[in-house]
Amino acid sequence: MSTILNLSKQDHITMRFDAEEFLYHEAELLDARRLDEWLDLLTDDIHYWMPIRRTTQAKETHLEFTKPGGVAFFDDDKSVLTMRVQRLSVGRAWAEDPPSRTRHLITNVRVADIDGEELTVHCNFQLYRTRLNSEEDSWTGRRVDILRRINGELKLSKRHIFLDQTVILSQNLSSLF
Amino acid sequence: MSESIIASDNSTIDIGACYDKKNGTLDRRIFSDEKIYQQELTRIFGRAWNFICHESQVPDAGNFFTNFIGEDEVIAVRDRVGKVNVLLNSCPHRGNTVCRAELGTTKSFFCSYHGWNFDLDGSLLAVPNEEAFYRNNLDKKQWGLTAAKVETYKGFVFATLDPEAPALLDYLGWVGKLSIDMMMVDGDIQFLDGIQKNRVKCNWKIATDNLYDWYHVKVSHGTGFKLGLVTEESMAPNDQMVILGELGHGIGGPGLTREKQAEFDQRQATGNGEAQWYDLNAKRRIAPEVREMLGPIGSRSFGHPNIFPNLWVTTTRQLCLRIPRGPFETELWWFNYVPVDLSESQRRQSTFVHNHIFGPAGFLEQDDGENWSHSTRGARATQSKTLPVNLSMGLGRDNVISDPSGQSAIETVVNEHGQRWMYQSWQEWMQADSWQALLADHSRPPQGKV
Repeated sequence: MSTILNLSKQDHITMRFDAEEFLYHEAELLDARRLDEWLDLLTDDIHYWMPIRRTTQAKETHLEFTKPGGVAFFDDDKSVLTMRVQRLSVGRAWAEDPPSRTRHLITNVRVADIDGEELTVHCNFQLYRTRLNSEEDSWTGRRVDILRRINGELKLSKRHIFLDQTVILSQNLSSLF
Repeated sequence: MSESIIASDNSTIDIGACYDKKNGTLDRRIFSDEKIYQQELTRIFGRAWNFICHESQVPDAGNFFTNFIGEDEVIAVRDRVGKVNVLLNSCPHRGNTVCRAELGTTKSFFCSYHGWNFDLDGSLLAVPNEEAFYRNNLDKKQWGLTAAKVETYKGFVFATLDPEAPALLDYLGWVGKLSIDMMMVDGDIQFLDGIQKNRVKCNWKIATDNLYDWYHVKVSHGTGFKLGLVTEESMAPNDQMVILGELGHGIGGPGLTREKQAEFDQRQATGNGEAQWYDLNAKRRIAPEVREMLGPIGSRSFGHPNIFPNLWVTTTRQLCLRIPRGPFETELWWFNYVPVDLSESQRRQSTFVHNHIFGPAGFLEQDDGENWSHSTRGARATQSKTLPVNLSMGLGRDNVISDPSGQSAIETVVNEHGQRWMYQSWQEWMQADSWQALLADHSRPPQGKV
């Protein structure tokens, strides 16, 4: 595994620029409800996962998140994510009808590792949502993404989402993170 | 036993008239009034046997899990003799919580305010400077954590804060026991790590009565069959069965008619005939010991039990607690379990269902919240709260049929019998000022025409 430390500063900057461009473009598609185009940014083997977070004693923080393969809020492959997008156009997807207004703010982007064609990218996010007259939700958290370069283009092959809430303080999670 | 309360808006609410049995209507204010809500906390949650956890969540001494009884925080903890205790999470000194984590393992509960330290059975072990500051004038035996009464049924731990409560098995009755037995059709179970929790701005009763509501399924969850996640037929089949239990328990939803069960049996025996949507569920009911456990009627029900007041048993190997958070907010907790004997691939299949149908991101569940929160809003605004809720579907059109085994059910089409029974029972709980009064004065499940 090569590490980020071996890069020249210029390569490092270019790498982060590529990652940021990808993530900002992706966020723009999500907020513009251009979800079919968003799906095109995912590899066929994507793993999209949001474990459940718990309050633990300081000495037991290893219990803070549920484990991969266990109970989670999201544990999706491409077919499930495709269904989440299809859901919105088949009618009666009331959670998003009328549609929510979302804003993805992506910050603290850092290329944490490089392995062949794959970049591991860490970022923080805020997803802000309003609905109807005055309903308001806000989720912040950390993402660990893997961006894979395929034929010169970056695609998302892993998204692990670590939310800063234990009890989800919204009536649902009908937005994509 | 008529009782009136002055509502927050100074109108009078006659609790005995909130549910109109003759017309199947309901006073909407019960979903929004603060005083009604406060009375629910004392007369329902403060009195009932509340589901706390499953024994498999706290397998070893010192394992704990925190939950709520109404708005009271409680700790379920296994002690050194193997007993699961349910302790009020409130230091008897100043009221502070003594356990801030939602799960874990501990040797004792040490209050972070002044250091009072409690054993796993709640008894007060030590207080700092007992001799120097209290001058040995504190009777530690009197100052332990309040311990709820705890009883279990097949590994399910229930607790009540009312010492007058009847025994758990008497409380559950055959319908409550059947509700739990339905989770055991594949043998012993274990709960999985991880509970999906989220908040909906609705009254807890609206979230709860929805589990009986097989009318909303095709409309609220229409995307489910449009995406092919579930078949349209299985979402709300015309063959429905409602089982009503004493003290407000009930089971409502799809049921196999006797004829269909006979066809199913023949199909299994001969291998001939076209498979039906219910075969997968029915297969789990075919073993003689399972039918014996569930009884002749129970083994034909694939409906949703509610163990009164707020524990929904799903058909997806999940339980959902609807925890009140004020009249206008409810916390939903999804507990997930699997049979102990499952293969790895079967377990993965089960967890796929746990993670994708219900819970806040679930394909079905995400569409529920707004209906419930807006129905709650409709119980709040000046004019709309004066209108009744209409729960009249099927009223007076069906019969309760009893089996020689003692089980009984209504076999019919989609209906609102379950909701009506829940609110009739709710009204009786709300009027009774003690367990004694409730036991003396509650309705037995109806016989004959309903």
